[in-house]
Amino acid sequence: MLLAGVAAAKEHPGKEYIERNGYQGPSTCEAQGCHPGTAKEFLDTVHWKHASPVPNVEGLEPGKEYGMKNRIYTMCNGNDIVNHLKEIPASPVTGKTKFAGCNTCHPGNHISDVGSVGKDAENAIDCLVCHASKYDFRRRRAYKDETGRVVMGQDRSKEAALSVGRPDVRNCMVCHESAGGGVLIKRGFAYARETDVHAKNGMVCVDCHAAKNHRIPTGFDPNNWASDGIRVSCEDCHKETPHKDGDLNRHVARIACQTCHIPRTGGAIAKDFTRWTQGADKFYEPTTLSKEANETTPVYAWYNKTVRNEPHFIGPKGSREEMGSRIYPFKIFEGKAFFDKKTGNLLSMDFAPPMSTGDALAGVASAAKTLGIKEYEPVPGWQTIYFGSTHLVTKEKALTCFHCHSRNGVLNFRALEYAEKEEEKLTNASIYFDKMAEQQKEEW
Amino acid sequence: MRNTMLVGWVAAAAILFLLFAGGVATADEMKMVGDVVKIEISGPNAKTAKATLKDTKTGKLVTVIVNDDLTLDKFKDHRIVVGDEIRCKYEVQDGKNVSKYFRKTAGC
Ligand code: HEC
Ligand code: HEC
Ligand code: HEC
Ligand code: HEC
Ligand code: HEC
Ligand code: HEC
Repeated sequence: MLLAGVAAAKEHPGKEYIERNGYQGPSTCEAQGCHPGTAKEFLDTVHWKHASPVPNVEGLEPGKEYGMKNRIYTMCNGNDIVNHLKEIPASPVTGKTKFAGCNTCHPGNHISDVGSVGKDAENAIDCLVCHASKYDFRRRRAYKDETGRVVMGQDRSKEAALSVGRPDVRNCMVCHESAGGGVLIKRGFAYARETDVHAKNGMVCVDCHAAKNHRIPTGFDPNNWASDGIRVSCEDCHKETPHKDGDLNRHVARIACQTCHIPRTGGAIAKDFTRWTQGADKFYEPTTLSKEANETTPVYAWYNKTVRNEPHFIGPKGSREEMGSRIYPFKIFEGKAFFDKKTGNLLSMDFAPPMSTGDALAGVASAAKTLGIKEYEPVPGWQTIYFGSTHLVTKEKALTCFHCHSRNGVLNFRALEYAEKEEEKLTNASIYFDKMAEQQKEEW
Repeated sequence: MRNTMLVGWVAAAAILFLLFAGGVATADEMKMVGDVVKIEISGPNAKTAKATLKDTKTGKLVTVIVNDDLTLDKFKDHRIVVGDEIRCKYEVQDGKNVSKYFRKTAGC
């Protein structure tokens, strides 16, 4: 599979056609019977719609689709609707404007925007942002056209089109690295040799996220709601008993692979959308506390892949009693933003006003106007979010016996529903003493 | 007995001190925020580049050597261009500023 990808990247059969005719966008990809219907098919995916049916999250309106298009939470207090791509009003200090908005992470041109349909939408897809290895990102910038519309540029040069192949890590990271308002803010996973065994083995994102008809599989991160209806998991490739050591294999029934193999997290730990901080360019950004990959410790909880969703909490449901639940690691995040005192619900924000002047409440007012909310009473409050933790996989630093089965171990057995007596037994060296003594003897 | 222990402790403290002082000397890490005013890179296969930043606090120009692949890649495909605001950490090695961290401040 890996080999096929590399071969395709080298010798694209459409090379001659593109050399002769140049690149006009998806129509070129679909010319001469090559890749027919791909653009139309793409319009029905999460990457175009930023929304999908969400079967596993409670408290949602039945029949409605959810995703970055319309969600309101405190990692990104805006969304494609209230914080759409636009020209930010001039900074009163510098008199300069800039372009910003959530749908900069959409592979359209903004005229055909998130979820749009029809021929224009098909023609607007930026196939090359995912498929070209020689994409010139100076062209993928927002600008105003002659009629004053804000357009997201694309690189449709012949050179870029001639470099098409299977998506590389960089193609995916263009967007995924900058989610959440900056480099490695949202999930904090640096996918590199030093931080992930799979990267070290030369694997790329799509080796695991192998797409079918542009449906890209995802997992069950409590905060990643939209999906293309297909899922990827560690067990797709590894056996459920992957270890030579039977003692480790016995744990897999109740403990997710990630729990032992991803002992650290990274990225933003907290953000305050009620208080914006002025940057060097005199524009403001929400005040953000962030850490590097592997600098923070996860929190552990039972998870049955369904999600508790309340104004002040988004996170896993599950319990020890339930056999479908396993202990998973989560990256914990706390966000402060405005809630509506009348309804208790979280309010969303248009970033344009606060970006320019620092006035967060003006951002809430603008978003409320867009959504037709006439009356609300904004009060600051906190929301806790549990993010799934699925990258930064390690073998060498994987948790082993004493990391968990000791008094100051990583698991809080009481919080995980173990009785005091059980905890006493589970945090005692007798559980692993003989085994580790034996290992120690072998190692030296 | 007491004495040897004491000597032991002093030695340990001295070693610790050396280690610590040594650590501080090599980790002489500078931090800055600045706009990119110039990127010098010698083509698609370059393994190193020079970037000049204008420190937003002092207005001074600082040139750093960039060797990490991820950042080089961003120079090559122009994800980072002149005018972008950068958060940069660098170490002074043999009189040169070697970049240890080079990221755009803003995201979406
Ligand atoms: C143009 C920006 C962009 C690019 C390029 C991009 N993504 Fe995404 N991706 C997004 C956004 C935005 C979302 C969130 C959608 C939502 O939740 O509404 C997303 C969601 C996802 C998801 C979860 C939802 C799903 O579809 O399963 C996965 C997995 C994913 N991306 C993987 C990838 C991979 C792999 C690549 C490279 C082939 C890639 N992405 C390239 C912007 C991008
Ligand atoms: C968000 C990223 C993304 C965008 C945008 C995108 N693709 Fe893809 N494409 C993928 C991924 C991921 C795969 C699967 C790679 C794998 O699993 O080997 C793929 C596979 C393909 C394939 C080979 C497999 C197949 O389905 O036949 C073709 C051809 C293709 N894409 C064409 C296009 C065209 C044409 C467009 C624009 C209309 C486009 N892609 C836009 C991510 C993207
Ligand atoms: C070794 C396999 C593997 C590789 C390589 C990999 N992923 Fe994943 N990824 C997964 C699995 C498994 C999940 C879902 C886990 C779950 O929730 O059960 C996932 C989930 C995700 C999600 C959903 C949110 C989340 O974190 O759960 C996104 C987005 C994503 N991956 C993007 C990427 C990108 C971008 C890359 C490349 C830089 C990448 N992945 C590389 C296995 C992989
Ligand atoms: C698409 C298939 C695929 C998926 C999904 C996948 N892996 Fe892997 N994994 C591999 C391959 C291939 C290797 C490298 C070859 C090997 O050592 O088995 C590997 C290596 C590893 C190793 C190192 C093994 C060693 O002996 O060095 C660990 C640990 C690991 N994977 C854990 C995980 C975990 C945890 C997940 C889920 C988050 C996961 N893998 C998801 C294919 C996958
Ligand atoms: C209780 C903790 C724990 C759990 C749960 C766990 N692992 Fe491991 N795993 C380890 C440790 C520790 C090692 C390293 C063993 C060594 O170095 O001898 C390891 C090693 C591995 C290896 C390398 C093969 C080997 O025997 O050394 C693979 C592959 C792997 N794990 C995959 C997985 C997958 C896939 C899952 C989920 C199905 C999983 N692990 C669940 C702790 C765990
Ligand atoms: C990620 C934390 C973690 C690691 C690492 C881990 N364990 Fe456990 N272990 C647990 C949990 C949680 C349970 C309880 C599982 C359950 O409820 O069935 C458990 C149960 C056990 C039990 C059963 C105790 C009883 O009487 O019910 C034994 C024995 C055990 N572990 C030994 C080991 C050994 C040996 C290792 C190292 C090879 C190890 N564990 C590594 C978390 C861990």
